[in-house]
Amino acid sequence: MNFKLDGINRIRLLVACGIIFTITLLKILFTPSGLYSPSFDDESVKFFDLDNYKGRADGWQYEERVLFCVPLRDASAHLPMFFGHMKNLTYPHNLIDLAFLVSDSSDNTLGNLKKHLNEIQNDPNLAMRFGEIEIFEKDFGQIIGQSFSDRHGFAAQGPRRKLMARARNWLWTVAIKPYHSHVYWRDADVETVPPTILEDLMHHDKDVIVPNVWRPLPDWLGNQQPYDLNSWQESDGGLQLAEALEEDACIVEGYVEYQTWRPHLAYLRDPYGDPEIEMELDGIGGVSILTKAKVFRTGSHFPAFSFEKHAETEAFGKLSKRMGYNVYGLPHYVIWHIYEPSSDDLKHMEWMALEEIRQKEEAKIKAVYDKVWDKAFEGVQNDWSKERNDFMKNTDLTNFRKIYVDWSGAESENLVENNEEDKHLADFDPA
Amino acid sequence: MLKISIWTKQDEEISTTMLNHPIVRNIRRRPLLVVAPLSLIVILYLFIFSHREPSKKTQKYSYKSKNKSWFNKNKDSVILRNLPKNHLSHYDLNQLTVSKTPLENKEEILVLTPMSKFLPEYWDNLNKLSYDHSLISLGFILPRNEDGNKALKSLEKAVKQTQSDPTTKFKKITILRQDTNSLESQAEKDRHALAVQKERRSLMALARNSLVFTTISPSTSWILWLDADVIETPPDIIQDLAAHDKPILSANVYQRFFNEETKKPDIRPYDFNNWVESEEGLKLAKTLGEDEIIVEGYAEMATYRTLMAHLYNAKADQNTEMALDGVGGGAVLVKADVHRDGAMFPSFPFYHLIETEGFAKMAKRLGYEVFGLPNYLVYHYNE
Ligand SMILES: Nc1nc2c(ncn2[C@@H]2O[C@H](COP(=O)(O)OP(=O)(O)O)[C@@H](O)[C@H]2O)c(=O)[nH]1
Ligand SMILES: Nc1nc2c(ncn2[C@@H]2O[C@H](COP(=O)(O)OP(=O)(O)O)[C@@H](O)[C@H]2O)c(=O)[nH]1
Ligand SMILES: [Mg+2]
Ligand SMILES: [Mg+2]
Repeated sequence: MNFKLDGINRIRLLVACGIIFTITLLKILFTPSGLYSPSFDDESVKFFDLDNYKGRADGWQYEERVLFCVPLRDASAHLPMFFGHMKNLTYPHNLIDLAFLVSDSSDNTLGNLKKHLNEIQNDPNLAMRFGEIEIFEKDFGQIIGQSFSDRHGFAAQGPRRKLMARARNWLWTVAIKPYHSHVYWRDADVETVPPTILEDLMHHDKDVIVPNVWRPLPDWLGNQQPYDLNSWQESDGGLQLAEALEEDACIVEGYVEYQTWRPHLAYLRDPYGDPEIEMELDGIGGVSILTKAKVFRTGSHFPAFSFEKHAETEAFGKLSKRMGYNVYGLPHYVIWHIYEPSSDDLKHMEWMALEEIRQKEEAKIKAVYDKVWDKAFEGVQNDWSKERNDFMKNTDLTNFRKIYVDWSGAESENLVENNEEDKHLADFDPA
Repeated sequence: MLKISIWTKQDEEISTTMLNHPIVRNIRRRPLLVVAPLSLIVILYLFIFSHREPSKKTQKYSYKSKNKSWFNKNKDSVILRNLPKNHLSHYDLNQLTVSKTPLENKEEILVLTPMSKFLPEYWDNLNKLSYDHSLISLGFILPRNEDGNKALKSLEKAVKQTQSDPTTKFKKITILRQDTNSLESQAEKDRHALAVQKERRSLMALARNSLVFTTISPSTSWILWLDADVIETPPDIIQDLAAHDKPILSANVYQRFFNEETKKPDIRPYDFNNWVESEEGLKLAKTLGEDEIIVEGYAEMATYRTLMAHLYNAKADQNTEMALDGVGGGAVLVKADVHRDGAMFPSFPFYHLIETEGFAKMAKRLGYEVFGLPNYLVYHYNE
């Protein structure tokens, strides 16, 4: 028995050696040309084979590094929420390198950012800490204010897009290293996002991929709404429009001024749809983009000029496609942008707050009046129906003619008056 | 599994030292006595193990490392080293200057070279640059083929020598192996056949982009594109070109040769990619399909563009500037901001232009002006 076991082990050992030997031989014979790699002891010299950083579908299992880019401007208020999401990311934190660009901020975005970063980098749990973190500061000068309506007015779009494109390019061009396999873009003002966002996007193995972006709305606006209309598929209408515009024009989606009839990722959402379903896109939005690093490395970027009549992220989609990369969106996989009220919404909310106060006052007054009223006219109705028969005992009630009085005219006049009072409130000017 | 191997080891020991021990004899007679409890242990082990599986499956993805096979190991430089406190660095790009007097302002220069062939003359010329080497970083990208292997070995040797000498040592050197393909043959006449130009230049564009975007740093003020076969430049080329304070400025690339007619050494124009657009060129572009390109220097495609190569005047001022619409890549100084804004080398027809010429066009679309110095010569290798 002993001898036998030994024999088997020896055979196993030989077989294993044989297999390893042949595999190694095959590898050596079939690796393309057996590429030479230099080795340097000197810290000032670095060598990288870019082929090692092409980006796989399951990159996290191969220790592939992700460059996580976040542009920031006056974003202090969003940072606590943003770092809440960062802490929950399931992609191994040590494989994530963070890059921030802080521009034209007056709310101490930089100081708050550093505070949050230092906190997370000192977490006793080492798995919470991120890889390399770089903060860049560069001001481009403000073209427009940072309020919702400032940013989303039609006229502001062209120059704003080109400026944002420059900002984004300044960020990734200085931050990307030869050893990054993926690049992820994320806006600070995302409210709800799965902690597996990186893996969820990466496992699709696309060159460029975006989720659907919606925003929650207050009840009075209907609960929810597509937010990012920049993710779309090109249409004949869009191409015709592009053809008709002058060289520097910049089409922006979601504005009545430019009717393109393009299918938008946002509108194709089915809340019960399969989140894995993919849709080919031409233009994309920037709230959350995952790309293979090679897309940027080989030259795709956010055009800060009109490229095929688009700029920034929408043009990034177009440019990446022009360079032969694939660009996809996930219609049923959704992340949620915060709800920021527009200036009309703000007015409406002001009115709603006032209306609530008014209604409370009214209810209070009504309660007082009701009391008085009840006191003054206590229980007459009930008594009357009882006593009526006594009063009328000599009258035949079965033939009693019913008398109708039409009060509707008088009532509705009253209502109109009331409504007009409301109207005055609705037009209340907060300024 | 583990338990079995431990047992066999023990068994071996027992068998050699105490072969005739009663327990051993017992086991030998009735092996079931041992096998039964052992298999029970194995079954229990598997039971516990398989029970752990489902709890793992509550995670959406597996995080088990799939290590690349050990004989195919990544031989690249160790990635994260000497990180600052909390891994955090902060750069204020508002403070970065790009000035006429880069040396006085301690501005950093990045010299970038796509290299399919290592020429010792190129290296000597580089080492002779008079700009402070501690402010110069170098970047190289080599093709994924035998040419690349050969060049890489020579480059490695040269780099080691230069970096070990404090008087020539450069600030930082990054060497990249291209991931995109290369055309195999690099003989001059193959390279220049019109049919292969589009594909070749498209691949070159990808290589140039990969090089610039992975090496440009937050402290880079200027980028000097210098081809590996440009073997002779004035040692002050960085200061000379920067003094013009232009976003993009190209030197005139010539070539030395022995003139058989005059029996004397002579020079002749080499790079025809520095040009000024012409009416004919624009007209020609209009007749082309979206995917067609115009390349300079081919009789099949007469553009009548003004070529800077032909405007050299030995007697005129070296600092004469001229506005250009297309540039070559031989020796071009670019403000790093131009690349940071997104100007890259198109690998596809961009206004019917690709690579360096497309780069000039894209920079212009971004609002930058492009210039050349017709009387400032650098020399291309003569094959
Ligand atoms: N660096 C920089 N970041 C900006 C600038 N404008 C906006 N951002 C940031 O870019 C992201 C998206 O901007 P946002 O205004 O929310 O865009 P929107 O949601 O499309 O209206 C956010 O993280 C902002 O903080 C800018 O001018 N410079
Ligand atoms: N990385 C890389 N560099 C190349 C390749 N082909 C040429 N080069 C380099 O690119 C530069 C310009 O190429 P070259 O063939 O000299 O073009 P030409 O001067 O226009 O004929 C030179 O520095 C070459 O060494 C290639 O396939 N990959
Ligand atoms: Mg936003
Ligand atoms: Mg050459």
